[in-house]
Amino acid sequence: MSKNLSDLSGRKGLSKNLFEEYGKLATATGTPDPAALEKLREEFLVGKSSVYGAVSFYDFLKPENKGKKVYICNGSSCMTAGTQDELHSKLSTHYSADEIGEMCCLGRCHENVSFHIDGKNYSGNDIDDIEKIKSGNVLTKEKYNVGCIGTPILTSEYGSIKDFYKIFTDCLSKTPEALLTELKDSGLRGRGGAGFSMAFKLDSCRNVAGDTKFIVCNADEGDPGAYSDRYIMEQRPHTMLMGMMIAGYITGAQHGVVYIRGEYPESVNIVTEEISKLQNENLLGENIKGSGFTFNFKVIKAQGAYICGEETALLSSIEGQRPEVRVRPPYPTQQGLFNKPTVVNNVETLANLPFIMKKSGKAFAAIGTAKSSGTKLISLDGFFNKPGIYEVDMGTALSKVIHDLGGGFRTSVKAMHIGGPLGGLVPVSKIDSLTVDFDSFAREGFLLGHASVVCLPENYPLIGYIEHLFRFTAHESCGKCFPCRLGSTRGYEMVEKARTEDYKMDYTLMTDLLETLETGSLCALGGGLPLPIKNALKYFDQELSPFFNK
Amino acid sequence: MGLTAFINDKPYSVNTGETILKFVRRHLGHDFVPTLCDAPNLDPFGSCRVCSVDVALVENGNAKAQASCHTPVIPNSYIYTDSDRIKKLRRNIIELVLTDHPLDCLTCEVNNNCELQTVAARVGIRDVRYPAGKNHLDKKKDLSHPYMTSDFSKCINCFRCVRACDEVQGEFVLSMAGRGFNSHIVKSNENNFFESDCVSCGACAQACPTSAISDVFESKSIVADKKVRTVCTYCGVGCNLEVAVVNGKVKSIQAPFDAEVNQGHTCLKGRYAFSFYNHPDRIKTPMIRRNGELQPATWDEAYDFIAEKLTGILKQHGPDSIAGISSARCTNEENYIMQKFIRAVIGTNNIDCCARVCHSPTALGMQRSFGTGAATNSVEDIKYTDCIMVIGANPTDAHPVTGAKIKQFFMKGKPTIVIDPRRTELARYATYHLQLRPGTNVALLNMMMYYIITEKLEAKEFIENRTEGYSDFCNQILKVDIAEMEKITGVDRKLVREAAMAYAKAPNAMSFHGLGVTEHTQGSYTVMLISDLAMITGNIGRRGVGVNPLRGQNNVQGAADMGCQPHQGAGYMNAYDPEINKQYEAFYKRKIPFSKGLKIPEMFDAAIEGNLKAIWLMGEDVVQTDPNTNKVIAAMKNLDLLVLQEIFMTETCKYATVVLPGATFLEKSGTYTNAERRIQKVQKVVEPLEGTKADGQIIVEIMNRMGYAQAPYEAETMLEEISQIVPFFAGVKWNELGDNGKQWPVRKDGTDTEILHLENFPREDGKGKFHYFDFKESNELVKNGKSYPYIITTNRELEHYNSGTMTRRTGNVDILTEDVLMIHPDDAKKNLINEGDMVCVESPRGKVDIKARITDEVKPGILSTTFHFPEVLLNIITSDEHDSEAMCPEYKVVAVNIRKSKGSFKNKNVPVKA
Repeated sequence: MSKNLSDLSGRKGLSKNLFEEYGKLATATGTPDPAALEKLREEFLVGKSSVYGAVSFYDFLKPENKGKKVYICNGSSCMTAGTQDELHSKLSTHYSADEIGEMCCLGRCHENVSFHIDGKNYSGNDIDDIEKIKSGNVLTKEKYNVGCIGTPILTSEYGSIKDFYKIFTDCLSKTPEALLTELKDSGLRGRGGAGFSMAFKLDSCRNVAGDTKFIVCNADEGDPGAYSDRYIMEQRPHTMLMGMMIAGYITGAQHGVVYIRGEYPESVNIVTEEISKLQNENLLGENIKGSGFTFNFKVIKAQGAYICGEETALLSSIEGQRPEVRVRPPYPTQQGLFNKPTVVNNVETLANLPFIMKKSGKAFAAIGTAKSSGTKLISLDGFFNKPGIYEVDMGTALSKVIHDLGGGFRTSVKAMHIGGPLGGLVPVSKIDSLTVDFDSFAREGFLLGHASVVCLPENYPLIGYIEHLFRFTAHESCGKCFPCRLGSTRGYEMVEKARTEDYKMDYTLMTDLLETLETGSLCALGGGLPLPIKNALKYFDQELSPFFNK
Repeated sequence: MGLTAFINDKPYSVNTGETILKFVRRHLGHDFVPTLCDAPNLDPFGSCRVCSVDVALVENGNAKAQASCHTPVIPNSYIYTDSDRIKKLRRNIIELVLTDHPLDCLTCEVNNNCELQTVAARVGIRDVRYPAGKNHLDKKKDLSHPYMTSDFSKCINCFRCVRACDEVQGEFVLSMAGRGFNSHIVKSNENNFFESDCVSCGACAQACPTSAISDVFESKSIVADKKVRTVCTYCGVGCNLEVAVVNGKVKSIQAPFDAEVNQGHTCLKGRYAFSFYNHPDRIKTPMIRRNGELQPATWDEAYDFIAEKLTGILKQHGPDSIAGISSARCTNEENYIMQKFIRAVIGTNNIDCCARVCHSPTALGMQRSFGTGAATNSVEDIKYTDCIMVIGANPTDAHPVTGAKIKQFFMKGKPTIVIDPRRTELARYATYHLQLRPGTNVALLNMMMYYIITEKLEAKEFIENRTEGYSDFCNQILKVDIAEMEKITGVDRKLVREAAMAYAKAPNAMSFHGLGVTEHTQGSYTVMLISDLAMITGNIGRRGVGVNPLRGQNNVQGAADMGCQPHQGAGYMNAYDPEINKQYEAFYKRKIPFSKGLKIPEMFDAAIEGNLKAIWLMGEDVVQTDPNTNKVIAAMKNLDLLVLQEIFMTETCKYATVVLPGATFLEKSGTYTNAERRIQKVQKVVEPLEGTKADGQIIVEIMNRMGYAQAPYEAETMLEEISQIVPFFAGVKWNELGDNGKQWPVRKDGTDTEILHLENFPREDGKGKFHYFDFKESNELVKNGKSYPYIITTNRELEHYNSGTMTRRTGNVDILTEDVLMIHPDDAKKNLINEGDMVCVESPRGKVDIKARITDEVKPGILSTTFHFPEVLLNIITSDEHDSEAMCPEYKVVAVNIRKSKGSFKNKNVPVKA
C-alpha cells in the first residue's frame, strides 16, 4: 500500500476512478490494452508498474484472462456438490479450452452447476439452455427459499421507496449524536466476520476531523457458500443503501461507495438502478430535502480477488492500487480511502440500520442474545432439502435452522463448513451444541463468520477438502506477508503430494505450518485458514491419519 | 519515568505512539529484535512478520503475537521478545523463506553481508523440512543497466525496494505484480532496468536486504578497508556519502541513513558517478604552452613560469591587469585562499567565481530584501509547510534529493505552484502550473502580488512590524496593468489569481527557486519580488516558510561566503569601504585594494579590450559554460597568461598558458556549504592521483613562491583562519562539525542557525525591504526577436552535471548520451522536423546543430536544451545580455531561428566512454 498512490488516485475523487477504468479497459478482451493503460497512468500520474502491478493482481483483469468467454464456478459448494466436471464437459462442446475460465463462487450455492457468461450468472438446470444463453436471450431460472424464525429485520418487505425512506428523513431531523446513541444501544456487531461494534467504528470516524469522509459498503461477499449479501442487494437493496446514508449522516461522510464483487453482476445492476431511483426521489445529492446533508453513491464492480473482502485491501482496490492488506494503525476510520477517514461495513451490518432507527436501538438489542443482538442471515447450500437464505434471531439453535428451516440434509453429510473458507469445519455431531451467535461458535472452537453453510457429503474425502482450502488460500493470498504467501502454497503442495503420491506428511511440520499461519499472518486469510484444518485433524483424525507420519 | 511498559519483565519508559519495535530498539539496541522488511527510511510495512513479539496485558499473562514494527506499545503491557513460541514462529517463517531461496551463500555477492543470512543464523535454522515445490530460482539476472543489477532468484518479497522507489524517490518504477506465491517485483512493465523508467538513484539497491537488487559496484556487500564519510561534489543539496575504499581505490558509495541532508538517499550522480576520479583522462602533470603546444613540466617549472609572468605583468600593467576566477566546486578553504591570493598577493579586487553565472542575483537580491544572501530556511522545513512554490527550478533533475522531497510533498495533494516555461516533472504534479513565456517572471510575480493585495490577503501585522517600503510598493503594484501582464506572460489571470491566493492562504508557504529566476536580465529583481511575496504573506522567520534558493553547485554558497566576488570580501564585508578594508589589511598583513574589481563578464570585455592581461582560473570551463562562446574564446586568446587548475582537459584548456593538475573531491579535505547554509566536512578518501595536488595547496604554493608566507593547505587550520575573519563562521571548528555539519551563522559558542530572520532582518533598521520593479522585456528579444522568433531556454538533465566534464567520464553517459532540443509538435511540423532529426539553431551569435526531441513539455515558440556535451557547445548561440544588477548572464532567454539541418550530423555525437 502506498500513501502516495492513495493521494494521487484520490485527486480525481470518485468521479473518474482508476480501478473502474481498469475494468472498462478490460471489457473488450478480458485484459486492458497496454497502450490504453499507459495513457491512464499518465493521467493519474502513477508509475507504469503501479497500474501493471494492480492489473496483474485480479482474476478478471490479468493478461491471462484475455479471451475468456465462460467462467465455471470453482467455489466450495459447487465442488462438494460434484456438479462441475459434467458442467465443464458440456461447456467444452461449445467453447475452446482457452475460452473457459474459472470464477470462485457465484453465490448459486443453493443449486450449484454454476457458471458465468457475458456478464450473467447461471445455475441449476440453466445449462440445458446453453444454446439460448449463447444467443443472449434467456434469463436464469434461479430460485431459492427465503424464510425466517423470529423477527424479520432483513427479510421483511419494505414497501415503496417513498414510504421506506421516511425512516431516513426522520433521521435527518434528529442529531447525529442521537442516532449514534441508538446505534450504541442496539449493540450491533459487524456481520462480515469479525463481529466488531459498529457504533464504535462510526464514533471513531466521526471524531476524526475532515471535510471528506467515506462510507464504504463491503459487498465483496467472497466466502464460497455465502450469498446472503447477494440476497440483500438483489431483493432488499434499500436496507443497505439507507444504512449507508444513515452512517454518512452520523459520521459526516458525503460519499458512499458500494464495492460489489464482479461475480455478482446482477447485484451490480440492481444496486445501480435502485440508486438512480433514489436520485429521482430527490433522496440523494446536495442538501437532501433541505436538511443540509449531502450524500452520493458510487458503485464499484470488483474484478475477482477474494482478498478484497479484507477492508484495507478493499480500500486499496478502490484506489486502483494492488489490494494488499495494510498494517493498522492507521485504521480506516483515521486514514482510509484516499487517506481520508472511512467506515467500512458489511452489507448485512448496514442493512440493520433502518430497523434500529425505526424501532430504536433498545428494541434491536432485545432481539438475540446479550452479546450478539439482532438477527443473522444464514445461507444454506444445495445439500439441504430446502436450500436458501434464512433469517433467525441470534441465539437460535443450529439444529432448528438445519431441520426446521433447511428441511434437513438431502443426502448423508459428515460435516458442514460454516462461515466461509476460514470458518470452522463443524462435524454433524456438534450440531446440537451450537446456537447461531458469535459466542457459541467461538466457545466450541468454530466461527460464525458470515454464517454460510457448505456441506461435505459422507463420501467426500477430507484430504481433498483440506487441499482445496490450501489451494484456495494460495490462489487468493495477496502475497504480502511471508507466512501466507509461502505457507499456503507449501501447505497445498504438501497435501496434494500426500493425496496423489506415496508421500506422508510430517505431522509436526503440518502443525508448525498451521501455527505459523495462525500467529504470524497479517490478516485473517492466512490467519484463519488453520481453523477448519485443525477442526478436520481433530474430528476426522481417523480418516486423515493415513496421510501423516506421526 | 512517565509511561512505562515491560520488555522481558523489566520496565522501560514509553514515548507516546511509538511502535513496539522502536521502543525496544531505543532501549535495547537496533538488533535486539530481528527484522527483514523494516528499513530505517521506510514506513512500517508488516510483511515479514519476523519482528513478531508476544504481548500480554499482565505479567506472564495470555500473550498475543504482534508484529512489533507496526503495533504501538500499550503502556503497562508486557512484551516478550524471545518467548519459545516467538522463537519458533521466527524459525518457521525463515524456513518458509528458504524454501524459495538459492542456498548458495558462499558464492553469493552479499555473503556475510546479507540480512537474510544474519536473521537465519540468529533464529537457528537446521534444515528445510518441506518437500521441493514451486520456486523462483530460475529467475534470470538483469545486467542491462550501467549501474543497477537485479537477481530476483534472491528476492524475498520484502517490498523494501518497491517502498524505497515510492516513499523515498517517488518514482513508482518498481512494483509487485501477480499475486500470492507468484507475486514478483517488476520494473515498469516487466522491463529490464535499462528500458524501465528507472532514474538510477539506487535507493532500491541500498534498501534490498539480499542481493536481489544491487549495483555494479556491489555497494552493499563490499568489505572495505575503510569507509569515509564525505560530501557529494555535484549539486548544492550537499548529500553525505559513505565511500568504501579497497586497496586505496574507491569501490562504491552508499548514503548514510543518519545524514540530516539526505537520510540515506542520493541520486545517480552522488552514488554512482564517481569513476571520473581516476579516469585515464585525468591531467597528471603541470603543462606549459610552448611553441603553441601544452607540454609537460615539473611543478617547479610551472610555478617559476607563472611567478615570473605574474611579476612581469604586475610590474608592467599593475595588479588590476590580473584577475582570478575561483570555483564553487572547490572547498570553502580553497575559495578563501584563492580570494586571499588575488587580493593580498596580487593586490586587486578582480576576483569572481562561477556564482556570477548562476546565483549572483540571489545573493544580491536577498541581501537587499533581507540583509542576507542565503536560504532563509532548511530543506527539513518541507515537513512543516502547507504550500510550496517552485519558480524557475527543476529540482527533480538538477537537485534530485531535495527534488524527491519536494515531489513527495507535491504528491500529497496540498497546494503547490510551479512557475516554469516547461512542464517539468514537478509541474505535472502541481496544483497550479503557471507556464509563462521565458523572461516574464517579474510580470507574473507582480500579477500574483496584485491579487494578494486586491483579495486583501496580505499579512498586515507582519508587514507593519517587520518591513519597510510597503505603502509605495502597494501603490505601484495596484497600478499594474493585469490585462497587459496576462498577455506578456501568456498565463491566464484566473490561474495566477488562484495560485496567488493558495500561496497567501496557506498557514505556512515556502518558495524554492533556481536559475530560471536568476539567469535573466531581471534576475535580481525577480529574487527581490520573490522576497516581497514571502514578506507580503508573512512567510519569513519560522518553520515551513521562507525563500530558498536551490544552489546549483556543491559550494556556490560557500564560494560567495568566502569572498569570491569583487565587491565583498570574506564574510560579505564591503570590499570597497576603506574603513572595513583596514580590518582585512590587519588580518592578511598586506596592503589590500579597495578599488572596484571586475566581474566575470567584465573580465572578458577587459581582456578583449587589452586591459586585462592574465586570468587565473580555478576549475572552471568558461569556454563551454559561459555564454557567447566565441566572445569568451576571443577573450582567452587575448590574454598574456591564462593559468588553469583543472582535472581534465576542458574546452578552456585549449587556450591555457599553464595547466595545473588539481585534485577531485575524493582526494582532499575541507568544507562545503550547501544551499541551506550547512557547513559540512569533506574528508579525503584517497590520496591525490600521482602528479596532482589539492587546489588549495596549489594556491598556497604559488603564494609562497610570490613571497607571501602561507601555511600548507590543511582543512583544520585553514578553517580556523576563516573563522577569525568571517563573522558568521565565528564558532566553526573542524573538530566540532560532526557528521552533519553546522548551519551558519555559527555563534562563538558553536550554536548554529536553522532558520534566519526569526525576529529581525540584518539590515540597518532590522526590517525587511519591499522593492517594486516594472516588467521590462529582455533586450535580446527587443533587438533580435523579429528576425529570430523562437526563444530557446537552457535546462539540465538528471544524468549530467553542467558541462559534463565529470559525468561524461562515468557510466552516466551510457544512460544519457547527448544533448537534445525540445521542440513542440506544432513547431516541428511547421519546420518539417521529425523526431531525431538534427536541427540547426541559429542566433545572432552563431549556430549549433542539435537532435530534435518532439514534446509538448514546451509551448509552441519555445525551445529548450542542455549544454552537457561539448559536441554541441550550445553557448555559441547564447547572448551577452545579463542581469542588470549582478551581471548574471541571461542563459534562459535566447532569440533563435530553427531549420532542419543540412548534411549528415547524425553520427557526430559519439559519447566519451569511461
